[in-house]
Amino acid sequence: MIINFDNAATTYPKPENVKKAALNAMEKFGGNAGRGGHALAMRTSEAVYSARETIADFFDAQPENVVFALNCTHALNMAIQGVMSGGGHLIISGMEHNSASRPAAELARNKKITLSIAQVYPDDRRTVESFRSLIHDDTKAIVCTLASNVTGQILPYREIAEICHKRNICFIADGAQACGILDVKLSDGINILCTAGHKGLYGITGTGLLITDGKYKIKPVMQGGTGSASSSLNQPDFLPDSLESGTLNITGAMTIKAGIEFINKIGMEKIFAHEDRICRSFISSLRKNKDIIIYRNPESSYVPIVSFNIKGVMPEKTASLLAQNGYCLRAGYHCSALAHTQLGTENGTVRFAPSVFSSENDALKLAELVKNVTVSEKYKKTIEII
Amino acid sequence: MKTCIAAMPSYTYVLKGEKLLKARGYPCEIKRNETTSKDGCGYSLHIYSDCHKAAEILEKYSVPYTIRKYGGV
Repeated sequence: MIINFDNAATTYPKPENVKKAALNAMEKFGGNAGRGGHALAMRTSEAVYSARETIADFFDAQPENVVFALNCTHALNMAIQGVMSGGGHLIISGMEHNSASRPAAELARNKKITLSIAQVYPDDRRTVESFRSLIHDDTKAIVCTLASNVTGQILPYREIAEICHKRNICFIADGAQACGILDVKLSDGINILCTAGHKGLYGITGTGLLITDGKYKIKPVMQGGTGSASSSLNQPDFLPDSLESGTLNITGAMTIKAGIEFINKIGMEKIFAHEDRICRSFISSLRKNKDIIIYRNPESSYVPIVSFNIKGVMPEKTASLLAQNGYCLRAGYHCSALAHTQLGTENGTVRFAPSVFSSENDALKLAELVKNVTVSEKYKKTIEII
Repeated sequence: MKTCIAAMPSYTYVLKGEKLLKARGYPCEIKRNETTSKDGCGYSLHIYSDCHKAAEILEKYSVPYTIRKYGGV
């Protein structure tokens, strides 16, 4: 029995239409998009363009500004390294995933940029002020996750975007935990949106997106074949080709399109409401036990992610005990060193993340199991002391 | 009928151009360039309509193009 509550890492199961799209892509779109003029290549190119259109509509962008990436990490690396290639000052939030904090830290370590980390607070106004106070004349970009992958806290991204707009600073957003759950649009003030295709958008693994409004030049970190300007040794300077070297993950692109169609059919608000209800039921059940710490604050808003710990029990131990009963939850640092420093969770947390396919009943059964773990681990400790 | 060939830098743009023009009643089709331009291989939009008006639409929607040939059928 597998009951997946690790959907913040990647969603599983995938919708039926996504599975069909993957199979259809392998059966029908066997050409190489943007390369060659034969029927197979043209058919495949049209399919990829239709995926760009669907994605562009979903995020309020232009199809040519939709760049397919390997994952959100790849997209963030392209954005951060590409925008900061000429140096300058970069600000990232203290809740960033390593996919943003590591490329930023690497640039700073090599003295190519200067880096500041903005503290995130439960109160959005303090968070916004934290970003504002770090801006100076040389600040070129701000990188901010839309929602923490550890706690699910939604950051005040529209307000941060507004500051960026006023100060002519590029706003790069990590939408990995928000896209497909929140109605994220470039018109929120985001200049470059990076996200995974395989999480809330329900595509397959190995997919990510960089979507830009085109305002800020992104210098490519990789060069190669694009099917365009082929006689030149220079990388094309137009999107999406400048950032899409090599053959695309065509099957992946088609699954993102299908995933978005699935979301549109159900409705994002309904998806959020369903997952949020499951989280609230889970939290409500866990709160009956004073040995369980839940990393949520009444002042903040959250996407459907719940991080928790059992007092005196290592997170990995908790996840391991739950896994013995078929429950899949991720424990540890969730690749977010900065977030755990802010939270003071030196051993990490256990993360509960439902999807549209999760059930409240399963979440409540899990909550009972977590409470039993609390009791049994306490009992063990009592025996050890005796 | 008037016709023209608008070369585009990539398949993405040629498809965008085709969709924009067809949606506005301008017949056109995508063809692979038979002769390589100075930029190398690529695609063109063959427009079978008022090329100047079609060009205005492409420009309005920031679709880069180079008119390779004007002619008549």
